Amino acid sequence: MSVYFPQKKLPYLLVLPQLIITAIFFLWPAGQAFKQAFYREDAFGLSQTFIGFGNFIDLFQDPLYYKSMGVTMVFSFSVAFFGIAIALWLAVMADRVIRGKMAYQTLLVWPYAVAPALAGVLWWILFDPNIGPIALFLDRIGIHWNHFLNGDQAMILVVIAATWKQISYNFLFFLAGLQAIPRSLIEAAAIDGAGPFKRFWDIVFPLLSPTTFFLLVVNLVYAFFDTFGVIDTTTQGGPDGSTNTLVYKVFKDGFIGLDSGGSAAQSIVLMAIVGLMTVVQFRFIERKVQY
Amino acid sequence: MTDLVLKNIGKTYPNGYQAIPSIDLSIEEGEFIVLVGPSGCGKSTLLRMVAGLETITQGDLLIKGNRVNEKEPADRDIAMVFQNYALYPHMTVRANMAYGLKNRGVPKEERDTKVDSVATMLGLEELLDRKPNQLSGGQRQRVAMGRAMVRDPKVFLFDEPLSNLDAKLRVQMRVEIRQLQRKLATTTLYVTHDQVEAMTLADRLVVLNKGKAEQIGTPMELYNKPTSTFVAAFIGSPAMNLLDAEVTGKGIKLNESIVLPFSHDYRGKVIWGIRPEHLVASDEQNGDIALQVQAVESLGAETLIHGVLVGSQQTDGSAVPLVVRLSGPHLPDIGSHLWFTVPREDWHLFDANTQQRL
Repeated sequence: MSVYFPQKKLPYLLVLPQLIITAIFFLWPAGQAFKQAFYREDAFGLSQTFIGFGNFIDLFQDPLYYKSMGVTMVFSFSVAFFGIAIALWLAVMADRVIRGKMAYQTLLVWPYAVAPALAGVLWWILFDPNIGPIALFLDRIGIHWNHFLNGDQAMILVVIAATWKQISYNFLFFLAGLQAIPRSLIEAAAIDGAGPFKRFWDIVFPLLSPTTFFLLVVNLVYAFFDTFGVIDTTTQGGPDGSTNTLVYKVFKDGFIGLDSGGSAAQSIVLMAIVGLMTVVQFRFIERKVQY
Repeated sequence: MTDLVLKNIGKTYPNGYQAIPSIDLSIEEGEFIVLVGPSGCGKSTLLRMVAGLETITQGDLLIKGNRVNEKEPADRDIAMVFQNYALYPHMTVRANMAYGLKNRGVPKEERDTKVDSVATMLGLEELLDRKPNQLSGGQRQRVAMGRAMVRDPKVFLFDEPLSNLDAKLRVQMRVEIRQLQRKLATTTLYVTHDQVEAMTLADRLVVLNKGKAEQIGTPMELYNKPTSTFVAAFIGSPAMNLLDAEVTGKGIKLNESIVLPFSHDYRGKVIWGIRPEHLVASDEQNGDIALQVQAVESLGAETLIHGVLVGSQQTDGSAVPLVVRLSGPHLPDIGSHLWFTVPREDWHLFDANTQQRL
């Protein structure tokens, strides 16, 4: 659809606020990061030396960077997988509820309104080795919980905290997707001799595949870039870098390690990744899944 | 042998709403039964109860002598064609048709043979590898029927299968469904709100009104001897003319000036009915009643004349509407008077209070 404006200036004026915001909060810092990626700065920020691709070469020779990449992969795919699987299960259950449907659905959507940092704090308290009720319960059944010392447990904690928040979002999409499937298809399958389980896997799940794919990309992007708060309030990337995701490493190297050049180089790599994911999203989601 | 028996079947929803008070019906093997009625009369609910998609809250449903009230839809040996076809959009036509067989553990070669033979019967051979969204409405309809036929069920259930098709295709598919059903001789229960479809397809019709069977019978029985004003008005197009009248000693009184000679023991208010096609054109001298022309619909082969009965008023003071169907073309002037005779054998009389046939 195209709209014609009588004056040439008005349309530009209308989009100006958005353009300014984008320029100040995205383009300018991104430009700064791009520039910094090619310089080495001293810890006090007093001098800069141009070193070309030096920061990138350092980065790709650093085993810690590859470790962080591995951590990010494990973290992101766990969050995406559990977020999608649990949300789908909840949506299927909610779709069958007749009485109190609204209340049930509203309650399930609430976690989405909780800020990531708060979600982190919440789970951090629940799992605190000294006072957390869940940690104490786990102790009682013989699992010694201490995510300050155990890297795997730290990973489990951040995955739980990050997933919990995302489930609501996924739930909403799945519920809408489920409600868009004509009831008669399920009934036809029932007459065709498919039990509830078979009906789900043969009919419902394939028909939800566009939704599932969309959510997979969105959840991966979320886990990659949007979980800083969760990690910062729970494990701060530790212990021993076991939850140090790429995004968290950018912050840690730049603002705690004060290596602004290396941090900038990492953010350039992240920008490339997010760009790639956006392309994937548009390529595959915009083109409707064929059935 | 009776194939399908509905014994005192009823449905009351948990909120207390009684969709179907009680229906008795027994269907012979190979019979084509049409459930017809206005929307909201419970015909689809009844069909879905037979299918097992709605619970039965009262009575017994017997298929081939076995009570199936509590059986799952899959275990009732029925097949259903839905109004929106309900084809699985992500499966090919072949997979759609074979799905029921696959779930029942039929080996692949046998499935393919069955699907191929049904596809040949329905002219779907070329379409077996397509997805439903690559098919036209009529083709989808055919696939939906193929999916039902391939399992060779004891009973076919159709839920308004033609209502999503255009008029021409609907007539064509109607004929096709009838021929197929004759050939397969499978007991069929068919739901529609279209009385033409009902009349042309049915061996026997069930006219439903507010969850009750108003009348069960062959199309001609319903046409010739409707048991209530509801059936009289529902079957036949245009609908039967129904006029308030009174039976007196002199005859049947349509108004102060029109009294048709008639002798009957009954005295009192009645509803006098005559079908539009049973009024016979006459002249002022010999005619029984006169009609003032208000509108003329020329259809070529026949002409529908809408008007009002001359010299008569309804209780609320409005004119009494009357429709006449004449064969061939006619072009009477609007406002002119036409005279008709009403042969005695074509009258229908109903009790004004109970609306039942006298």
